[in-house]
Amino acid sequence: MIDEGIDNFEDSDAFSDAEKAALRYSHLMHKDPDKIDDKFYEDLKKYYSAEEIVELGSFIGFNIGYHTFFGTLDFYPMFSPTGELVDQEESRRIYGDVPVSHIKGGAVKRASKSKIDA
Amino acid sequence: MSIIEAAPSDRLEQSKIAKLMAVAEELQVPDARFFEVMAHAPGYAEALFDAMYKAHAEGNVDHKLKEIIRIQLCRLAKDSYFSSLRSKRAMEQGLTEDLIESGCSEAFETDPRFTEAEKWALRYAYQMYRNPQLVKSKEFYDEGKRHWPEAAIMEIGGLCAIYYGMAVFFSTLKLKPNQS
Repeated sequence: MIDEGIDNFEDSDAFSDAEKAALRYSHLMHKDPDKIDDKFYEDLKKYYSAEEIVELGSFIGFNIGYHTFFGTLDFYPMFSPTGELVDQEESRRIYGDVPVSHIKGGAVKRASKSKIDA
Repeated sequence: MSIIEAAPSDRLEQSKIAKLMAVAEELQVPDARFFEVMAHAPGYAEALFDAMYKAHAEGNVDHKLKEIIRIQLCRLAKDSYFSSLRSKRAMEQGLTEDLIESGCSEAFETDPRFTEAEKWALRYAYQMYRNPQLVKSKEFYDEGKRHWPEAAIMEIGGLCAIYYGMAVFFSTLKLKPNQS
């Protein structure tokens, strides 16, 4: 569902129209904020209250700001996708240098292999 | 008509938000307009203002330098609200519009008014959201550590993150400051 929400939410049956609007809000705020115009907000208001829009917008903005910063620091999660405590070198090997899907990018597979090797 | 209308006045008058607005008065960044919007979600208003204030007004890095970095990133995000505001404290400490202009463009690289440490900090902010892969290198951070302790680098990075993120959100709301 994470992959679906990132790569295919517009055509997916897994999300309601309200959820699709929120995912679109996040996608555009990062990739093309100029497209978030008055019409976009009118559409968003069909599904969400002012409180929810402020909550969503702040959450998305905060994440755009912080995850770009964190990305430059070259650190990785303490745990593998299967819940094993791993060191930073192993974590980088599992997750890769750039953010990718845990499924398509192979992190789950690499983490499982790491567990077997251990 | 605003995209997000001001929250009901009773929310603005809630004790915590009223106190935060009084704190913000000292810098005048942000102004009341920020609270009018954010008070729709009071918990977010309190938490985000607290983080923004600590990043901008506290810590060990010179406030004037942080003010230039803040404006530089708000301009990058095309946010006319946050980029129009000026820290009263920074201006009283001697920050000028001319220095802000230099720090907001690549002119800072050759501007003798900035120290090498300040140039690295301005470059860090300038590249963070334009070219994060350039920043994500041992060489870049090693150079930063020649000028700044790690705590200061985290302080500058945190300032960049919170203000750039909020400026992207506010740019979509097309807000204007309350003050002239």
